This record gives sequence, C-alpha cells and structure tokens, in this order.
Amino acid sequence: MHGGVLGPWLDYTVNGLIIGNIYALLAVGLALIFGVANLINFAHGSVYTVGAYIGWASITYLHTPLPITLLLVLVGCALLGVAVERVGLRALHGRSRIAPLLATIGISLVLDQVVQLVCSPDPRALPSQLPDLRFHIGGGTIGTLDLLIAAIGLTSAAALYVFLRFSKLGWAVRATAQDQDAARQMGVDTDRVNMTVFAIASALGGISGVLVGMYYNSIDPNMSFDATLKGVVAMMIGGLGNVPGAIGGGLLLGLTESYGIALFGNSYRNLFAFALLILILVAAPNGLFTRRRQLPPEPLTGTFIARSRPVRVPGWAVGLLIVVAGLLPLLPVPYLLQTLTNALLTGLLALSLTLVAGTVGQVSLGHAALLAIGGYASGLLALDFGLPVDLTVLLAGFVTAALGTLLVYPALRMHGHYVSIATLGIGEIVALVILNWTGLTHGAMGLTGLPPPEILGHELTSVGALYWLALALVVVMGLLQTRLLSSHLGRAWRAIREDEVAARAYGVEANRYKALAFGFGGFGAGVSGAVTAHFYSYLDYSTFNAQLSILALTMVILGGLGNVLGAVLGSVVLVSLPEAFRVLADYRMLIYGLVLLLLIRFRPQGLLGTV
Amino acid sequence: MNRRSILKGTALLGAAALLGSRSAAADDAVTVGVSGPLTGPNAQYGAQWKASFDLAIEQIAAAGGPAIKYVFEDSQSDPRQSVTVAQKFVNDPSIVMEIGDFSSTASMAASPIYQRAKLVQFGMTNSHPDFTKGGDYMWSSSITQAEEQPNLADYAVNGLGLKKLAVLHLNTDWGTTAKNFFVKAAQDKGAEVVATEGFLPNERDFRSTLVRIRDANPTGLVLEAYYGDAAVIARQVRDLGLKLPIAAVGSVYSPKLLELGGDAVNGIYTQSNFFPDDPRPEVQAFVKAFQAKYNRAPDGFNATAYDTMNLFAALVKQFGATREGIHEGLAKIKDVPSVVYGTITFDPATRRVAGAHYERLEVKDDKFVLWDGSKPAT
Repeated sequence: MHGGVLGPWLDYTVNGLIIGNIYALLAVGLALIFGVANLINFAHGSVYTVGAYIGWASITYLHTPLPITLLLVLVGCALLGVAVERVGLRALHGRSRIAPLLATIGISLVLDQVVQLVCSPDPRALPSQLPDLRFHIGGGTIGTLDLLIAAIGLTSAAALYVFLRFSKLGWAVRATAQDQDAARQMGVDTDRVNMTVFAIASALGGISGVLVGMYYNSIDPNMSFDATLKGVVAMMIGGLGNVPGAIGGGLLLGLTESYGIALFGNSYRNLFAFALLILILVAAPNGLFTRRRQLPPEPLTGTFIARSRPVRVPGWAVGLLIVVAGLLPLLPVPYLLQTLTNALLTGLLALSLTLVAGTVGQVSLGHAALLAIGGYASGLLALDFGLPVDLTVLLAGFVTAALGTLLVYPALRMHGHYVSIATLGIGEIVALVILNWTGLTHGAMGLTGLPPPEILGHELTSVGALYWLALALVVVMGLLQTRLLSSHLGRAWRAIREDEVAARAYGVEANRYKALAFGFGGFGAGVSGAVTAHFYSYLDYSTFNAQLSILALTMVILGGLGNVLGAVLGSVVLVSLPEAFRVLADYRMLIYGLVLLLLIRFRPQGLLGTV
Repeated sequence: MNRRSILKGTALLGAAALLGSRSAAADDAVTVGVSGPLTGPNAQYGAQWKASFDLAIEQIAAAGGPAIKYVFEDSQSDPRQSVTVAQKFVNDPSIVMEIGDFSSTASMAASPIYQRAKLVQFGMTNSHPDFTKGGDYMWSSSITQAEEQPNLADYAVNGLGLKKLAVLHLNTDWGTTAKNFFVKAAQDKGAEVVATEGFLPNERDFRSTLVRIRDANPTGLVLEAYYGDAAVIARQVRDLGLKLPIAAVGSVYSPKLLELGGDAVNGIYTQSNFFPDDPRPEVQAFVKAFQAKYNRAPDGFNATAYDTMNLFAALVKQFGATREGIHEGLAKIKDVPSVVYGTITFDPATRRVAGAHYERLEVKDDKFVLWDGSKPAT
C-alpha cells in the first residue's frame, strides 16, 4: 500500500513540507515587520488568532463564500495592524528598542484576552470552504487547502520581494529599514511606511490564521503563543528580516521536525526544532539565506536600552523599607504575605535577569529555565540523596550557576535580538530535556513530595517564616549585586552593554565578563527556583515555563533595566496587580495587559530608571 | 444575564474580602472556595465548572437543601496563583471546603497550605496518583487511571478484538499515567503494544507521528487525549489514508469532539462515565435540567462539577458546615447520588472513589451511540 524505494521517507518529506508551509506563512509576516521596524513582533500570533476568529464569525454569521471570507479577514487584520502600530508602537519611537518589544508582548496579552472574552475559551470548529479534493502522494494524501496555503505563502513572498525591490513605496520601506532618520531627511514619511508594513504583515498574519484554522478545523484563543514561537524560529533560520528567506526557513523547520519524529519519535520534535535554531544562530547568524558578506541587520554599536537618569533612592529609605518589610509578618495579613512571598521569590529571578539583561545588555527570554534547573537540582538532591534542604538549596544555586553558564555559552558572542532568541530556544530545550529525561527527572510525572524549606533542621512551613526567608534572600542578593555594580566588575559589564567593540578595544574580555554575569545571575535564580519548588512540594517541567520568562523580563523593564531596587519593585507590582484585580474576575488579565501598555507608553525607561 | 450576575456577585465578594468585612456573608449561605482557571489556556474548564455549580446550587436551594454559595478565584491553573488563592481561602473562616485546582501542577503546589490549615482540598479533576498522598485533607472524586485503563484495554482487546496496538498519549502526568496503565493492562490481556508516542498539549500536527505509527503495523490506535486533540488526530488519520480503528479514553467524550472532528471521528470507539442518553434517572434529570438552563448538552466536566456540588450539599447536611465536619464526613458519607458513579462512597485509605460506571460508545453517523457489540472490519 505504501511502498516504493523511498517508502516512508517520501511521506515524512511531504508532511514536513506541509507543516513547514504553515510556519513559512507566519515567518513572512514577522520578517517583514522586523525588516522595517527592527522589532520581533510578539503580537503576530495574536493577530493570527484574531484573523481566524474574524473568518469564523463571517462564515458562521454572514455565511460568506471563501473569497469574501478571506477579504474580510484581510481588511480586518490590516486595520488591526494599523491600530497596533498607531496606538501601541508609534509613540515609543526613538525611546529605546526594548520598549516596543515589550509593547508587542502587552498587545498580544490584550488581544488574546479580548478574543477569549468575546468568543469564549472553548475551541471552535472552522470548517474548510474549499472542495475537499485529495491527491495521493506516497502513502498519504494532500488536500486543496495544503496547496492553497503553499500558494499564498509563495505568492506573498514573491509579491513582497517585487514590491520591496521595484516599487517606490518599497524603496521607502527599505530606506526606513536601513536608517529611519536618514530616510526622513530624504523626505520619506516613515510613519506612513511603518503603518503600511504593519497593515500588510497583519493582513498576512490574519490570512494564515484563518487557513490554519480551516486546516485543523479547530481554533481557540490560545493558538497564538505557539504560532509566534514557531514563526520566530522559522524567521531566524531564514535570516532576520529576510522575507524570501522566511519561506525557506519555514520549510526547513518543518522538514527538521518531521525527520526528527521519524528518527526519535514525537516527543523529540521540538527538541530538534530548537536545536536547529541554536545551530543556525551559532554557525550562520545571518540566517541560511542571506549572503555571507552582508552586514547583520542590527547596528553593531549602541544597545537595546533606553538611557535615563535613575531615580535616586537614599540609603536610609531602602533601610527603612527593609525594616518595615521585615516587621510585616507581625500583622495578621497572611494573604498579603503570601502574595509578597511570591513576589520576592520572583524578585530573585528578576534580580538575576536585570543583571544579565540590564547591566550587561544580554536580553534573555529563557530565564525561567534557570529556576527549573535550580528546582530540579535541589529536589533531586533532597529526594534521592536525602540531603537537608538548606544544603540542597545552596548546592542548587551552584549547579544552576555552572549549568546555566555552560548552556548559554553559545549565545555569548551574539548581540541584541540574537541573544534573546537564542536564550528563548535554550529555555525551551531545558524544559524539553526535563520532560524527556524520564530516568532522571521522572518526566511528565514531575517531582512529588518535596520536603519544605528548612534552616539548620527547622522546617519553614508558616507563611511568615517563608516570607522572611524570601525577604532575606532578596536583601542579601540585592546588596551583593549593588556592591558588584559599583566595583570595577560592574563598570566592565556596563562598558560591554554600551559598546562591546570599544570595550574589547580597551582590553575587556567580553565573553568572560558575560559568563561571570550569567554565573552570578544563575546562582540567584537557582536558589529562587529551589526554594519555590520546596515551598510548592511539587515540581514539573511546566512549573517554570516560557511565560514566566517573559513575565520576568516585563518586571525588569518595568523596574528599570539594571536597577536592583527596580527589579524588586517591578516584581512586587506585577505579582500584586493581578491579585488586586481579582475583583474584576474574568476581566483581570485584560486590565493587567492594558495597565502594562500604559506603563510602557509613559515610562519606557522603567519606574526607577535604567542604571 | 446569568454571567453578569455571577460577575457582580464575585465582584461584591471580592470587594468585601478586600475590605475585610463579612457583610457579604451575612446571609447564612455556606461557602465553598473554588480555585480554577477562568482566564488563560484552560479557561474553558473553569467556565464549564461554573455552569454546573450554578445549576446544582439552584436545584439544591429549590429542594430545601442548605443555601450554598461559592467564591471562584481565578488561578489560571498556575501554581504561583493557586498558592495565593489557597492562602486567601484558608484565612477566610467562612470557607468550609475548597474545590480544585484544575491541573496537577497548580493543585499540588497548593496542597501543603490546605493540609497545614486543615481545610479539605477537593480535587475533582486531579487524577495524578500522588495527589491524595499530599495529606489526609486531599480528597478526589476524579476517576483514577488505574481503574479506567484496564476497562479501556478490555474494550479494545477483548471487545473490539484489537491485538496489535499503538498508543498516542498526551505527554503530561495524566496522559503518561494513562498510557502506563493501559500498556500494562493490554499486555496482561494478551495484546501487543507496538508503538507509544507522546505529544505536548499544544501540538496540532500529527502527520509524521502517524506515519511512524503506521510503519509499526498496528491493528488499532489507542488515544489517551482530550477531545480537542482527538478530533485533530482523527482528521489527520483520515488525511493519511489510514484505516486504523481508533479506541479512545473517556475524556474524548464531548459534543465538541463531533463538532471539531466532523466526518473523521466517525468510527471512534470510546467509553464514558457520563453519557446523556444513559437511561439512569439521575443522568436524565441532570441532562434535562442542564439543557433547559444552558440550551446545550453537558459534557463530562459538567457532570463532574455537578456531582461535586451535590456531594458538598450532602456533606453540609449530614455533618455540618464546619471544616472539621466536612473532613470527617468525607470518610463516613455513603451512597451520595452521582451522575458519574451512580453513587459516591470514598475509600478512607486512598481518599478516592472506586466503581465508576462505564458505557461503551462509538461514534456513528456523527453521533455518540452505545456500542452495538460488533468488531471493526479490518
């Protein structure tokens, strides 16, 4: 039945191309926006979801035929793209490069919540409107929808290529991409260019959403994060901002996954996808389809980070704050204490990230993986070797410092967005290894029955004791970090952030200093993960997930990059806000997203400013 | 309208809690705390719970039973939030029992807090074998996979005559436990398991995995998955032109399977603890009332939540509206009417319920019908 010399390999190839098609379509939109705005648009997946729902609504309520459905989606999402650019991003121009990135995360949160509130979180069927003809290839079949997805991907990439190369507006787009200020001096209306690009990319995103929804006959409000993730990986493989390359990247990613499944089984598919990503980033950071001599699309000097004067908080005020915080458990406020304990434990993660991302300028999107490493290290040492928990937590800090530095090693020579994407990939790889290495980590079952945190044989189980432990850890790590920042080490770190080439010229061995930062940050994050795991008594691969990494970055930026006190403040604010909005029930995450957007809009340098 | 009134109620409760006043609890309704997802990736399950809770509470009040209200705190099924919710609940003396959370990660992270505060944590969806080992205040009415999987294996191997099986399972604590119990039971019954493949909760593309399964030459495919995944898998089985009979665990049973899967789910064999056409009177009463209130058919999650609220009412009635009363009552209570189990009685040693009801079903002409006993043609 399914014979031939190629046998199953033909089927694996066909299947890889089919899923690769979908990744390619997502990557084209992302590449277009990156090419112009130098921005990884984390809201792209949400626009894709909105597109799917517009399609669903127009088929269900208006009974539109396919061309009209696609037209409505196209117009709806183009308008959404314009709104995203105009309302969410334009005001952030020229402030810093990190603010728009964060804004797209906020926009994505808001869009997903709106979709969920309007359309309910239940998955819905989105029936295909194409005649379901199936063509036999190898042992399987492909349908009309597969062909349509491929056709739209290829046509749009070709059309965009022609548009960018030969039309006047296309030249304006490319000029804006190369140098916004110079383009403006030459009379290019860069605002209009940005708006056009967002409209085109979002329309494309919406179309992919509706087609993919039809392909699986199923859409739900949570399809956006995975879409963004795979789209970004495909785009990186093709080369940041390289539109035709994105098609190649998508197909290659699909094939890699498919062959990975063929060789090792389905559990390893994403492991292969992210390993490919890291490999490409290390071996060909400009992507596979960009000429070698071409300059990387990122400026070589300058940073992500907004310059600002930090808010000076006098030492006595910090002391007073610590004393007040320390006295808090004497009041009967356990719910508040619990919330603050969570905030402080996340604050340790934020401290670690603010050092790495803020002081050294290596914006990590996979930082939660360090918590997972710390949690598992401590949990396994306590469960398998029966060591006391205070010792295992300390050991977990060192294990995480060592392992974290080792893992991030390939990313040390990268800059800007490359570091972010590489760490995102490394974070996913850590989670997948934990899930698949059943012999060591108990796989999907997680670690159960972890003993509570203890100090010298005294178990800390009351909410007050845990709070004190978390507070003490934050104070110690915070003071240590402040001390380091004012030493020559801190100056070297900041020098690397400001201008790595200049720092090297002055003899600062950048990679070693970066590794030191990851080591110190890894220790704090590992301890945080370990304490959290023992406090929960249960830990699995999803306890510290990619969403937490993004939340931590939000905290750090909110507090002010590199700002020690700011990191703690950011985490207290972002952990408390959803709790404070509990009264809003279903609407609380929406309000949270809106508040986040307002904060970025009016305070892009963070509450306490960059140090 | 209903949704809005709940919202208002929750808002008032929340405001009252913030102000530290007990005025909202002035009416003498007994309060149960619910920790579950109302936003985030699992929000649909929280919405299902609410629908059934509201229905049950109305019916209990109408029948003269205790007046009950619930405080539903959104945890997004995230351990960071379920622990703060837990802390909130244990410090609110009006709350006499807690229901939830939805996922094992969120529930088990909160267990130590409930255990220390001696407030019963009732995990109605927590099938993780270690959930009730968290302490003597952790109870669960979730069907254990140790019980369900041998049943499914018997259906697949002896009922359907499938002797060479491939298993596709969700790679979570639930799916892995299910797979392990199934494989063992199927092998005990003389079947051979030729392939097992795990997948992540958000995966949608199974074509290559199915090719791998095809080349292991099974005579039947077993799904340990929820309805959304099962529908997507069934469509791709068809796209690849595979003619494998599919047997699936009870959690695929939902009207949504038919909606999402279309023609492709015809011929899926499954079993369910809850089947709306089940002639038992308690099932028919529930289905009718649910249909009348919400104008849609209930699914298994609705049935579980409905059962739990009724169990809570029975506990309050017989053992009093105190935390300790509920805790002692769970060990003693006998034969509470249930849609899922027929009647509920806990085993005080495992703090779980045994003896769920199973109906063998198949999908025929886009409907779930009772299995007619015929074997699939291969």
